Amino acid sequence: MQSDPSTSTAGISKLIARVAQADRAAFSSLYQATAPKLLGVVLRILNNRAWAEEVIQDAYLKVWQKAGQFDEDKSSPITWMVSIARNSAIDELRKHPTGRTVNDDQLDQVPGGQTTAQQQVEDQQSVNQLNHCIDQLEKERQDMVRLAYLNGWSRDDLAGQFGQPVNTVKTWLRRALQDIKRCLES
Amino acid sequence: MIERDDLDMQIAEYVLGTLPVDERNALNARREQDPALEARILEWEQRLADLVDDVEPVEPGPELFGRIERALERNDSSSNSNPGSNVVALRRQLNRWRWSTAVASAAALVLVAVLTVQPQPSSESFVAVFQHDDQQPAFLLTVDLEQRQVNIRPVTAEAKPDKSYQLWIKADELGPNPRSVGVLGDQFQLDEAALSQYDPDLLREATFGISVEPPGGSPTGQPTSPAIHGYLYPTGDDAQGDNP
Repeated sequence: MQSDPSTSTAGISKLIARVAQADRAAFSSLYQATAPKLLGVVLRILNNRAWAEEVIQDAYLKVWQKAGQFDEDKSSPITWMVSIARNSAIDELRKHPTGRTVNDDQLDQVPGGQTTAQQQVEDQQSVNQLNHCIDQLEKERQDMVRLAYLNGWSRDDLAGQFGQPVNTVKTWLRRALQDIKRCLES
Repeated sequence: MIERDDLDMQIAEYVLGTLPVDERNALNARREQDPALEARILEWEQRLADLVDDVEPVEPGPELFGRIERALERNDSSSNSNPGSNVVALRRQLNRWRWSTAVASAAALVLVAVLTVQPQPSSESFVAVFQHDDQQPAFLLTVDLEQRQVNIRPVTAEAKPDKSYQLWIKADELGPNPRSVGVLGDQFQLDEAALSQYDPDLLREATFGISVEPPGGSPTGQPTSPAIHGYLYPTGDDAQGDNP
C-alpha cells in the first residue's frame, strides 16, 4: 500500500490536479486509490450499503467538479476527499434521520450498558496525536466526539444515549473541541 | 473575541457533524461564497482528520464506478447554471473537443470554449480562450445567445497577411467533426448572420475553436493546423487587467 505511488499523499495530489484538467483516466485512478476509504467512512455513518454507495457517487461527482479548488497547502488530499464524502453523508443523514434506523444496530445495547458503536470507538484507535488529545478528555466526552465524527451522531442522539439535556451536550462538545484544538497546538 | 470564538466553535461542530441542521445548511451555503470561512473549515477538517485512521476501508461494488461515470456524462451534457463552476465546465468542454480532435488527427486550433451563465442577462456571457503557449495567438470570444451574435477580440493574436483565422463550432448535435462558422476578416470580424442557423440551446453547449488556415480558409472543410489550447481569459471586468 505504501509503496504504490498512486496511493501516496503526493500521488493522490497529482491525481486531483489531473482531474482538475478533466482527465478521466486520472479520475479512475483516484477512485481506485481512495474509494474504499471513503466508503468505509460513509458506511459507518449511514450504516446502509446502498445508501452509502449513492453518497459515494455524489461525493465523486463533487470531487470531479471541485478538483480545481483543491489546495495542497491547506488540506491533505485524502482529508479533502474524505471531508467531501463525510459532509455529504452527514447532510444525507440529517435530511433523512430515519433512513439509518431501519438497519441500525448501533443503538442496540450490549452487556455493560454500552452500544456497539461505543464499543467500536473504544476498540480501534490508532496512535496519533489527535487520539492522544482526545484521550485527555473526560471519558464521556471522548465517546461523544468519536460517535459524532465517526458515526454521525447528532446532538440529540448523544443526548439520548448519555442521558443529558441537548444544551449540555452542546456545551460538552464545544469544550471538548476547544480542548482538542489547544492540545494539538501545544 | 467572544464572537470569533463562537464562530470557531460553530465551525468545529459543523466539521464534527453535530451542528443543528439549519445552522449546518447555512454554513454549507456560505462556505461557497466566503473564502475565509472555507479556509477555517479546512483547518478544522485537517485537525480532526486523523480520526478516520480508525475506519476500515470497504471495497465498493464493482459497478459503482460505472454509475459514477454515467452520472458524469449526464452532468457533462446538461447545461450548468451555477456560475461558480464555469471554469470546470469549460475544461470539460475543452476536453471533449480535445478527445475528438485527437481521433480526427492533429487539427490545428486555438481552442475557445464558450459558456454562458444561463439565468443572467446575455451581457454576462462567459468567455474563455485556450492557447497552447505564449507563442500562439489567443482570442476572446463572446457569444450573445439571444441575438446569436458572436464577437471576437484578439488577445495576443495579430492579423497575418498570408494566413486566415477560421472559427469552428462543435456540438454533439452537429456530429463528430467541427463545422466552420466562418473565416475572420482583417478586424477579426465575422458575418453577422454566422450563427443564425444555430439555436441558442445548441450554442450554449457548443465548443468553439479557431484555427490558422491558408488565406480564405481551410481547403478541406476541416481545421488543418496543430492543436492548441491553454489559458483562460474570463470576460468579467475584474479580469480585464490580466490581459496582456
